[in-house]
Amino acid sequence: MSEPLLSVRDLKVTFTRQGAEPFHAVDGVSFDVRPGQTVGLVGESGCGKSVTSLAIMGLLPRRGNSVSGQVMFEGTDLLGLSDKQMRERRGRDLGMIFQDPLSSLNPVVSIGVQVAEVVQRHRQVSKSVAMEEARAMLDKVGIPDPRRRLREYPHQLSGGMRQRALIAMALACRPRLLIADEPTTALDVTIQAQILALLKDLVSESDTALVMITHDLGVVAGMCDDVNVLYGGRLVERNMRHDLFAAPAHPYTNGLLGSIPRLDSARGEPLDPIPGSVSDNLPWAESCAFAPRCPSAAPDCLASSPELVPHGGGGTDGEGALRCFHPVVPAEVAR
Amino acid sequence: MSSDTLLSVTGLKVHFPIKRGVVFDKTIGHVYAVDGVDLEIRRGETYGLVGESGCGKSTLGRAILRLEEITDGSVVFDGEDLAPLRGEALRRRRQDLQMVFQDPLSSLDPRQSVQSLLVEGMKAHGLTADKEATRARLRELMAAVGLPEAALSKYPHEFSGGQRQRIGIARALSVNPSLIVADEPVSALDVSVQAQVINLLESLQESLGLTFLVIAHDLAVVRHISDRVGVMYLGGLVEEADADSLYATPLHPYTRALMSAVPIPDPVVEDTREQILLTGDLPSPAAPPSGCRFHTRCPWKQAERCDTERPELRVVEIDGVPASHRVACHYAEQIASGKLQPHQVEPELVVPLEAEVPVDLGP
Ligand SMILES: Nc1ncnc2c1ncn2[C@@H]1O[C@H](COP(=O)(O)OP(=O)(O)OP(=O)(O)O)[C@@H](O)[C@H]1O
Ligand SMILES: Nc1ncnc2c1ncn2[C@@H]1O[C@H](COP(=O)(O)OP(=O)(O)OP(=O)(O)O)[C@@H](O)[C@H]1O
Ligand code: SF4
Ligand code: SF4
Ligand SMILES: [Mg+2]
Ligand SMILES: [Mg+2]
Repeated sequence: MSEPLLSVRDLKVTFTRQGAEPFHAVDGVSFDVRPGQTVGLVGESGCGKSVTSLAIMGLLPRRGNSVSGQVMFEGTDLLGLSDKQMRERRGRDLGMIFQDPLSSLNPVVSIGVQVAEVVQRHRQVSKSVAMEEARAMLDKVGIPDPRRRLREYPHQLSGGMRQRALIAMALACRPRLLIADEPTTALDVTIQAQILALLKDLVSESDTALVMITHDLGVVAGMCDDVNVLYGGRLVERNMRHDLFAAPAHPYTNGLLGSIPRLDSARGEPLDPIPGSVSDNLPWAESCAFAPRCPSAAPDCLASSPELVPHGGGGTDGEGALRCFHPVVPAEVAR
Repeated sequence: MSSDTLLSVTGLKVHFPIKRGVVFDKTIGHVYAVDGVDLEIRRGETYGLVGESGCGKSTLGRAILRLEEITDGSVVFDGEDLAPLRGEALRRRRQDLQMVFQDPLSSLDPRQSVQSLLVEGMKAHGLTADKEATRARLRELMAAVGLPEAALSKYPHEFSGGQRQRIGIARALSVNPSLIVADEPVSALDVSVQAQVINLLESLQESLGLTFLVIAHDLAVVRHISDRVGVMYLGGLVEEADADSLYATPLHPYTRALMSAVPIPDPVVEDTREQILLTGDLPSPAAPPSGCRFHTRCPWKQAERCDTERPELRVVEIDGVPASHRVACHYAEQIASGKLQPHQVEPELVVPLEAEVPVDLGP
């Protein structure tokens, strides 16, 4: 088994606003990613997925938050680097793809110049060589007629093509680690299928490590080797893809699976939703945050906070983990 | 039209003019948002309309409620053509047709309490004459959508997304409609909350005998809640079938591609299923392709007919496919039998609609 390329340890991000209670958006998250591996971060809105990725990339706002823990990338703690050092890392070793490509592309600069600039920022090549490389990148990500597209502006591309252009930019610097935050959430499913196939090919071809952030367990099922399930800023379950879906151990994971209408399951059965919403959460510090919504909740869940403990054989590194006093038993597994 | 048909749409077209010029007075083309749709919805059923962004689902739903100007065709509701209705006659008819939006409260006055939001709609249709009855009705509505009575005195911003959707549903129910058009009612919600709202819609339909037109881009959601499903592509229906038949034997190449693209939360299925990956993007509805609108992306496209003749929605003779299952493809039989095989498609360039309108790119 290869060494992890990225090791996140006990990452905490706390937002502090004057007059308001400090808010722990990410509350002690740890996970590893190896070259050529795809690791998923899943959970519902507000569970801390984007904040985790922004903290890794050093892209959180300068003020109003504190970050602690470790983000080890090949032996260097990224949290200890200066802004300038992080900027260099970001275009060289670390790439990021966001949900909304339009907001991450410059509207007044042509696609070709934007991709070529990334190439030039990291390698000493002439403008024409960089432009030729940009054309090759657009071609690689499946943009038709790439030579013509080089001269066009973001608004002239469809949503799917913009996302491809953004992937081309992220890949132009040949990153070793790519973080994709809901890269297909804004796209139609047929376009999503194209983009996911593209990402899969890229990972297997280039040994890139991919952190895939999504709320869609269907996407996870098809893409990720290891899956980390987040709830209220904490990791509640980690396992290998097949084990997680076959035997979800955390009531939240199980509840998510019971909530999703499946295209391939029998119709006519009502869904089995998780009651309530995240606004019902309890504080993690003294309880299980999920208790008000949990079908297995017992008095101990309200009185103390469950720790993350090793669980099952899961995780490529044998580090499956679970945060729950009363794990789901086989008879309770959704479907 | 049989007597159990509640809504019958025939030859419906909604075209939006594209204006250009200093004072935007010159029409230089049209967006063919809905371009010849026929569909019937029976009393008490849920009809699901599915398709990708921009295919005209919302426009179709809004046109049925006469919230869009109808370019051509008829919308017959309970025996009456709505298309020519105007003014007071239309306003009165609207009581029977209500709409639920993706975020029903975003467009409403944030300073109005839930109670006053609900009463407002009921008042417009003269349903608030008796104070005691109104109060009882409000309590009943809250119970029906699973909210505590105390919610009546709260304001929109005090609710979570799922609760807001429940209020939107209560508002639609408040005037006793017979048809509810729900446009993406769950797409803004987290999956756990989405499941709650789907269950609510299903139980309301059963207890109140409502008829639903549910519009959504998520095929798994649509299949789950619908009795029948219509698949839309670029302004037209390409396939219509009972939800089970559509899933068991999708006939249109677009439906097959759409179905194979929906991720399924099961790694065993994901690892083994075959995907039909479409190339390229949805063409612009301002310049729809000739003939079959799907021919620019269709992996089964044939040299004859596909790019010259627009296929009609028709019944096919294929074993195991009922007559209620209709498809708009010239070659549906040969594709289903495997006689025709898919081939590679070169993606075509598509210029998004926004890009055709010049934007100010600044200095
Ligand atoms: N700059 C900020 N200041 C204060 N709170 C923030 C800030 N950014 C995020 N948060 C809060 O941190 C929590 C986690 O947010 P995050 O964006 O990581 O969620 P997410 O899991 O990515 O959700 P989504 O699926 O909606 O994108 C949320 O409650 C959010 O409101
Ligand atoms: N008022 C309008 N004027 C001009 N064009 C319009 C108008 N309303 C909608 N359109 C266009 O008509 C087409 C169909 O739009 P519609 O909103 O019906 O699609 P949809 O299927 O509901 O898509 P989505 O899934 O994104 O909601 C789109 O190209 C849209 O841009
Ligand atoms: S610790 Fe208790 S409340 Fe929390 S998920 Fe486990 S059983 Fe449920
Ligand atoms: S009519 Fe032709 S192009 Fe259209 S779906 Fe059928 S085979 Fe494809
Ligand atoms: Mg996010
Ligand atoms: Mg719409």
